[in-house]
Amino acid sequence: MFKHILLPTDGSELSEKAIQEGIRLAQSLGAKVTGLCIMPEKHPFFYETEIPAEALEQIAKQTKEAGKAYLSVIEKKAREAGLACEVVYEVTDYVYEAIIRVADRMGCDLIMMASHGRRGVKAFIIGSETQKVLTHSKIPVLVFR
Amino acid sequence: MFRHILLPTDGSPLSEAAIRKGIQFAKTINARVTGVCVLPELCHFGFDSDIGAEFKKEAAAAMQREVNKTLLAVEKAAEEAGVLCETVQEKSDQPYEAIIEAAKKRECDLIVMASHGRKGIGGLLLGSETQKVLAHSTIPVLVYR
Repeated sequence: MFKHILLPTDGSELSEKAIQEGIRLAQSLGAKVTGLCIMPEKHPFFYETEIPAEALEQIAKQTKEAGKAYLSVIEKKAREAGLACEVVYEVTDYVYEAIIRVADRMGCDLIMMASHGRRGVKAFIIGSETQKVLTHSKIPVLVFR
Repeated sequence: MFRHILLPTDGSPLSEAAIRKGIQFAKTINARVTGVCVLPELCHFGFDSDIGAEFKKEAAAAMQREVNKTLLAVEKAAEEAGVLCETVQEKSDQPYEAIIEAAKKRECDLIVMASHGRKGIGGLLLGSETQKVLAHSTIPVLVYR
C-alpha cells in the first residue's frame, strides 16, 4: 500500500501531532518516512535595507537551526519506532510547491499533514498551505486535525 | 492504527476510484469499512407544488435505485477484497454534514474520499463537499485524486 510517507512540518504543535500519527501509520504499514521542513526565504521585515547585514545573517542562522531542530524531532521519533527515515530541509517562500516537489523527488506515495500549521485556526477553516497541497497534489493527502 | 474507515460515495467515477483505493487500504491495515451514500432531501425543482405526485414518486424511486446500485458496488468491492463492510444511506441536502454525522455515529476513525465527486473538476480545484468535510471533520480525512 503506502510505502513512503512524507511528513512536512513547520514546527507547530498541530504538525507535531500529525507527525506522531504519521509515524504510527508508517509503523503499521512497514513504510519509510521522509521529514520535510520548509523555512521562508525572506525575513518578516519589509525594509530590508534598514536591517544590518549581521542581523539578517543572524536571522537566517536561527531559522536554519530551528528547522534542523524540528527535523531532528522527526528523526528521533522515527528511530524510536524503528523506521527508515530521511530528512529534507528547504528554504523557499512557496511552501506547497516545495512539499509537492519534494514528495515527487523522494518518491513518496502519501503526504500526511495537519489541517493547520503555524498560522493556526483563527482565520481559516482549513490551513492555507494544506489547502494548496490538497489542490495541487497528485499524491493522496491524509489530513489530521 | 485505523480500524474503521468511512467511504462516502456519490456514485461518480472519481468516488468509485477512491473507494477502490480505500478498500485496498482497509485490507492492508485490517480495518473494516462503512460505505455511505447521501440522498438529497429536496426536490431539484424550485416549485415543488407544480410537480405531479406521480413524477415525484418516480424521481424518488429512480434516485433510490441509483443509491442502491452505488452501495451495492461498494459491498461487492469490499467482499472481493475480503474486507468487512456495511453500507448506509442518509438523507440530507448538506452531504458533508451527513458524512461527518455518519462517521461519528458509526465511530469511524478515518474518512477516505475523492478530491472531487459528481460535479467534477470544472471550475473548482478541490471539490466542494470534500472541502467542507475537510473543514468540519475532527476525524482525519484521506483525499485521493
